[in-house]
Amino acid sequence: MQDAMERFGYVAEPEIATAVFLAKEMGKPLLIEGDAGVGKTEVAKVLARILDTELIRLQCYEGLDVQTALYEWDYPKQMLRVRMGEDEGRSADEIESVIYSRDYLLERPILRAITRSEPPVLLVDEVDRADDGFEAFLLEVLSDFQVTIPELGTVRADRPPFVVLTSNRTREIGDALRRRCLYLYIEHPSLEKEIRIIRARVPGASDRLAAEIGRFVQALRARQLLKTPGVSETIDWAQALVRLHREHLDAETVERTLGCILKDRHDMTDLGGETLAAMVGEAAAMG
Amino acid sequence: MTAGDLVAHVARFSRALREAAVRVSVSDEVDAVDALTRVDLSDRDEVRRALSIALKISPREAAAFEALFERWWTPAAVRAREAGGAEPPKPIPVKRPGRVPERSAASRELEVERPQGDAPSWSREALLRRKSFDECGPAELAAMEALVGKLVLRLATARSRRLVPTRGRGRVDPRRSFRAAVATDGEFLRLARRARAIEEARLVVLCDTSGSMDPHVRFVLAFLLALKKAARRTELFAFNTSLVRLTPWISAGKLRPTLERLSAGVPGWSGGTRIGECLAEFAARYREEMLGPRTVVVIVSDGLDRGETELVAKAMRSIRSRARRIVWLNPLLSDPRYEPTAKGMAAALPYVDVLAPAHNLESLERLLPHLAA
Repeated sequence: MQDAMERFGYVAEPEIATAVFLAKEMGKPLLIEGDAGVGKTEVAKVLARILDTELIRLQCYEGLDVQTALYEWDYPKQMLRVRMGEDEGRSADEIESVIYSRDYLLERPILRAITRSEPPVLLVDEVDRADDGFEAFLLEVLSDFQVTIPELGTVRADRPPFVVLTSNRTREIGDALRRRCLYLYIEHPSLEKEIRIIRARVPGASDRLAAEIGRFVQALRARQLLKTPGVSETIDWAQALVRLHREHLDAETVERTLGCILKDRHDMTDLGGETLAAMVGEAAAMG
Repeated sequence: MTAGDLVAHVARFSRALREAAVRVSVSDEVDAVDALTRVDLSDRDEVRRALSIALKISPREAAAFEALFERWWTPAAVRAREAGGAEPPKPIPVKRPGRVPERSAASRELEVERPQGDAPSWSREALLRRKSFDECGPAELAAMEALVGKLVLRLATARSRRLVPTRGRGRVDPRRSFRAAVATDGEFLRLARRARAIEEARLVVLCDTSGSMDPHVRFVLAFLLALKKAARRTELFAFNTSLVRLTPWISAGKLRPTLERLSAGVPGWSGGTRIGECLAEFAARYREEMLGPRTVVVIVSDGLDRGETELVAKAMRSIRSRARRIVWLNPLLSDPRYEPTAKGMAAALPYVDVLAPAHNLESLERLLPHLAA
């Protein structure tokens, strides 16, 4: 599994590979927690590519309701149909059976994931942002992979999708949902792994640049920051530096491109010119 | 090791985990056995990873899990358990070095250094000395109870962005409108509507219990308990030189018994304050899980700090960046001559949204609108 993930550009620690392997084998959802930008969402994407299947993503937010996640009726189309039916002199029962059929149903992510003949990967992203009510609904869906639409009846998945849930821990996920899943906590990567990630994802970066970026970002994470940069920021930054044709880090470039990795004004002002220059010096010196 | 042995060993291991306050349910055990049948059992690291994943070990429980794994999943330990039958081994000996089977040097170290997490017994004694709540007289408590009623009403009327069906005003709900229209041959006699749901306030309260707060704190604490009853999500912390989470020992119900339980459990308070360190500890440990866009943070303190002011500012900034607002209750404010010039207070001030006195029931009551989400 680890090899398979690396083939698709995901540098996986044994923990991550084991978790994905077990989730796939045991047919259980995988709940992934960790700081922003450590590659939680990426796990689902890579899993979809390994299985060569579709990735269906449900982005959670505060106020997300069951309709948005499950299905919606196509109201304008229904409206037209009702008017036409009236003109043709059809009975209400007849019209009803027509407008509440599959043709008028708009599938939303969860229903789509259940009705696919080839099981897709269903990514429920940032589940901590949805409210408790939605979590309860999710729990129900994840336990039997069936959904009841009052007008149509029950839809059941022939082969359940692979489910990956991610959480940034903005709030604690309910115990029931947590127990339904396998659990993986992803930490920020080690220096060695981070350099490998840069090499894998930004092929244009030289060995020296990748190593310096890695050391610099690791040093940043060791500081008390409001927004600790994740791997995704590291990759962005490496890409930016490659675009700027940099072969190594220097204080001026770092200062100008710092916006790629630090996303908070206070963090930026905290790292004044001198601190920054010293950190760049250290990152370069160890190479 | 046969499948039966595996099940038994996982069950005993789980019991040891539970005794070490790691939450493990029976379904987790089933998952663990299932997971173990799918990995290479001779690869110890793989076994550890599989168990951690299947038993849903959170980062906070990781240290306890690692220590127990070291003891339980050595080849010798597994064999001994198999031979020894059902006798359960001793739970993890945090401070009881009793009859324990052989362990590696690494695991011994882990046990010695293992902090006791947020078990209240650890920090509450360091923090607080014994003191009674008796001075909160019956009249005061009765007033508190009455205030609770108001709290429930006012705090429970904040609206969320979730839409729920309503009979009154709101935005049109096409799904239900259509459902109704079908019954009337496609005529929309009445549009169904949805409005924003009403949701409970989310509060995190950090209460200073240092010596300088002594005259005020009982009163404020009684208020906080009332608050907890109205908004069940309220999290309570006490701090002076270190931080203690009080929430686990507070239950809903009558005010009086809870106060008594607290007075028995929480000894008194005195000594200095290290606001900066405590706020920083809160930010580091709980910011992610307890603070959110709807959380109101209430800090009760006079801001007389002996620690570093730079730390106060930094911690406040960190908390502010994630919470909805910060309300600072300062009992000294009731004195008209008071200026918030104490070093800790001055450092925190830029990040405080509402600075209010907290010396009597009236001042607390005025505070309510600021506490709603």
